[in-house]
Amino acid sequence: MSELQVVPAEMERLHRFEETAGLLKWITSVDHKQIGIMYVLATLMFFLFGGVEALLMRIQLSWPGMHFLAPETYDQLFTLHGTTMIFLVVMPLLIGIGVYVVPLQIGARDMAFPRLNALSFWLFLFGGLLLYFSVFYGNSPDAGWFAYAPLTEKPYSMMEGMSFWCVGLLTAGIGTVASGINFIVTVATLRARGMSLNRLPLFTWMTLVNSFIILGALPALNASQVMLLLDRELHTRFFNPTGGGSPILWQHFFWNFGHPEVYILIIPAWGMLSEVIPVFSRKPIFGYTFVAASTVAIALLSFWVWGHHMFAVGLGHWPDIFFAATSALIAVPTGIKIFAWIGTMWGGAIRFTTSMMFAVAFLIQFTMGGVTGIMFAVVPIDWQLTDTYFVVAHLHYVLFGGTLFAVFSGLYYWFPKMSGRMLSERIGRWHFWLTVIGFNATFFVQHIVGAMGMTRRVWTYPNLPRWAVLNLISSIGAFVLGFSVLIFLWNLWVSAKRGEPAGPNPWDAWTLEWATTSPPPEYNFREIPPVHGRRPLWDLQHPESEKNPKEHG
Amino acid sequence: MRARDLNKTRFAMLLFLGSESVFFIFLIVAYIYYHGDVRSGPTAHSSLDPVKTGIYTAILLSSSGTIWLAERAFRRGSSAFRWWIAATIACGATFLCGEMKEYAKMLHEDITISRNVFGSTYFTLTGFHAAHVTVGLLLMCVLLGLSIRNRLREDHGEAVESISYYWHFVDLVWAAVFSTIYLWSTR
Amino acid sequence: MHPPSVFDPHSAYAWSIYHLTVVVTILMGVVVLIVTGLVTYVCIRFRERKHPGPRLSYGNRKVEILYTALPLMLLASIFGLMIRNMDASDPIQRTRDNIVVVGHQFWWEIRYPGTGIVTANEVHIPAGKPQMFGMEAADVIHDFWVPQLGRKMDMVPGYHRDVWLAANEPGIYLGRCSEYCGKEHAWMRIRVFAQTPANFAQWEADQEKIPPIPTTGDAADGARYFTTMTCANCHTIRGTSAQGEIGPDLTHLASRTTLAAGRLPNDPADLANWIKDPTKYKPGCFMPDLGLTDEQVRDLVAYLETLR
Repeated sequence: MSELQVVPAEMERLHRFEETAGLLKWITSVDHKQIGIMYVLATLMFFLFGGVEALLMRIQLSWPGMHFLAPETYDQLFTLHGTTMIFLVVMPLLIGIGVYVVPLQIGARDMAFPRLNALSFWLFLFGGLLLYFSVFYGNSPDAGWFAYAPLTEKPYSMMEGMSFWCVGLLTAGIGTVASGINFIVTVATLRARGMSLNRLPLFTWMTLVNSFIILGALPALNASQVMLLLDRELHTRFFNPTGGGSPILWQHFFWNFGHPEVYILIIPAWGMLSEVIPVFSRKPIFGYTFVAASTVAIALLSFWVWGHHMFAVGLGHWPDIFFAATSALIAVPTGIKIFAWIGTMWGGAIRFTTSMMFAVAFLIQFTMGGVTGIMFAVVPIDWQLTDTYFVVAHLHYVLFGGTLFAVFSGLYYWFPKMSGRMLSERIGRWHFWLTVIGFNATFFVQHIVGAMGMTRRVWTYPNLPRWAVLNLISSIGAFVLGFSVLIFLWNLWVSAKRGEPAGPNPWDAWTLEWATTSPPPEYNFREIPPVHGRRPLWDLQHPESEKNPKEHG
Repeated sequence: MRARDLNKTRFAMLLFLGSESVFFIFLIVAYIYYHGDVRSGPTAHSSLDPVKTGIYTAILLSSSGTIWLAERAFRRGSSAFRWWIAATIACGATFLCGEMKEYAKMLHEDITISRNVFGSTYFTLTGFHAAHVTVGLLLMCVLLGLSIRNRLREDHGEAVESISYYWHFVDLVWAAVFSTIYLWSTR
Repeated sequence: MHPPSVFDPHSAYAWSIYHLTVVVTILMGVVVLIVTGLVTYVCIRFRERKHPGPRLSYGNRKVEILYTALPLMLLASIFGLMIRNMDASDPIQRTRDNIVVVGHQFWWEIRYPGTGIVTANEVHIPAGKPQMFGMEAADVIHDFWVPQLGRKMDMVPGYHRDVWLAANEPGIYLGRCSEYCGKEHAWMRIRVFAQTPANFAQWEADQEKIPPIPTTGDAADGARYFTTMTCANCHTIRGTSAQGEIGPDLTHLASRTTLAAGRLPNDPADLANWIKDPTKYKPGCFMPDLGLTDEQVRDLVAYLETLR
């Protein structure tokens, strides 16, 4: 039955390894599970940094004319907040969960290149710390996460903050590319026997697609950052208009990375939903092929929409129309997924665990973020609303109301596997409702205040009718949200120590990660179960399903 | 199963080279974008010599052949491997010397990376390529060293092949760079 | 005064965008309602307690095609609306610029080509007449946005952009820089004064005049200070030796309603405070505290107040 057997010599090595105790074991680890957990812990640390930055900004913005923060501090905070949340929280968090789950889901004993995997993690961590080192160095980057030239060029940004930004993200970015390569090779070569591509669990599918986007998009960022860094340190002329360079070229280059990046930040989250919703609806995913194929469609389209970040630049009539068309088109495969998840729930027997509740909230909030995204694809609307708080609301509905809700859902789902203990459902309810209330209070009003003319990245604003009260609501919401994060951390802490033991398969789920103990042994599986379909553990329980072609893909 | 026939190292190298080509495409696009936009100072036309660099280009491109022969010799277990690898290193090093001579000549004429957009795009693009050549030379020196000490075993085949892929890629990038900078933009 | 709201259009261009925004918002609202309705329905109808036995299903090709095709049709119709709307919102046809606005770090330079008028931060236009605005930038990227009058337009250094803006009726329209441009991006605000054609012509005539240099009293001392001290390095006052080009043109400073791109109201007391310590009010601005005595400041204010 099982293809891979643990050879005695290997077992002995593993035992010896287990004896190396403590911190050293973590630091030297090449085990994908330990590295995955380290990713989660490191991103939680950066999540706290980014969250505190957001709260400081919300205090400053809670009322017009506040003098809580100096303008330069505010500029550094929003730059750090955006950079942190995108590069040091969401992206590595999704990669980290992937690093933990993907080898288990495909019945492998580790990633294809365990040491490269560890290198990716440490590059990410030290890249992030390097970025934060700028705070102690006395000047953090202050020109926004998009780093528009020439504001990032030497004459306008004399301090070293933006150079830290370049070097820190280059370091992390190289690690991300390595992760992408590692995922693709892992899924291509280490799948259990019988797991053909159309039997791949959807989280793995989406991580795979995502890795291809990473390989296409991250080098664009790396190249642009190299050029910006050369501009700053060796006085080259790439993006500096006084030297013959073009600020618009930076925008093209940056968004060539920047828009695929948006999908890098959401596709694995969709994968998590595609695991959670079927399991808690007690039904297989509705329209597997459409879900998988639509992800590939998004990956391909994502490289052709960057211009919609530049409608206000005045690229011209036809370029605007081209990018409007591609951007609108990308909503179709996104919609397919929403409906596929609703279709999965339809006719199911839905269990409202905390994980499932986050998934359900995702469906509505992500749709909100999606439709405002379609509004930005409509060029004239973008001409008005871009660079206002409407964008801030839109992107947080996608990245917080969407991605982070899916990540919470995924963490509640996989935490028992990672720790061997269940997260508390009671604390989980509190966490869920406070997050929903805090999130919507913070960001819903920003749609309105944006359309009323409040622009982004301002440290203060005039006391125009209703602006003050809307901002105050947003700030109060932000603190509720901050409190909900503390409750989540509390839940992680208590449950890891005293949570209910999980057993191998607490959710009665169907993918291979649930076929081993929780937490799994170093070698993951003593025996890999046979894979005859998309839900190998379900097949084991229902041998009669052997003949059902739909189950088997 | 087919999945198991796929060699991990080679596949990873191909993916890595894929991401590298995106990196180089952006540097090449920057070069093309600013070509014809040079308001003052040196241009490709005024400062480059396609013929002389063409000779070095021919030497570099021929090293794709020598490394292919080296790989073949390796698979046969023949000691000709060492000679072909040494030849490849020699070709790469010659190319690098040629490029350094060209750099020296340009710097002498005060054509630097910060002089104008031509200088910036030219030195960045060719400089990153030269860095890749250097890495390739180091990798091949390691192979040669291992081989001379008889430490290179048969199961190192995928390493040899991956390095050879890398070297072909470096040549391919130069072919693109040479065509863009020396053939197209010096006209 | 009209706050910078998308919901308060005052030109054909802004109206056109406003209509499209409303239509698309309603359509998108319907989408959100449908999804929310479906999610709520399945959550109530198919919760385990109510519906313990799940129906095994793997999908339904017809439904799948339906939920691909319907959104596609919706998006195609929005796209069609957009194409029809684009030329009305920002006509492709361009003419000679009526006004050129140049974004500087934290203030706006406003030129009226063909007239010699140069002013700052407050744009005057005749109401009811479409104006061709030229957009430029002196240092970093800025963005000119007065939503009641039309679309926003980035000002990118090294590029010239044109955009149609208009105000149907007289009034004051508030706008602001909409592309992050550095420390005082927040205090980079715009006022557009739309005037009746007669008032606008009067304003133009006033602005073209060169104010006389006062010869007596505090104002005369102030004028001398202005041209002999550091002020003249950065500011221009037509008709004097002050021809600096770094800061705003002050030829008719006293005719403006605000100081420092909307930071302070333009009255003698605030002007004096501003001159004494500009970075106290606008920490990122480039005008330094010159260490002037109270007396010098009083004289300078007296002079600047004559520049009507």
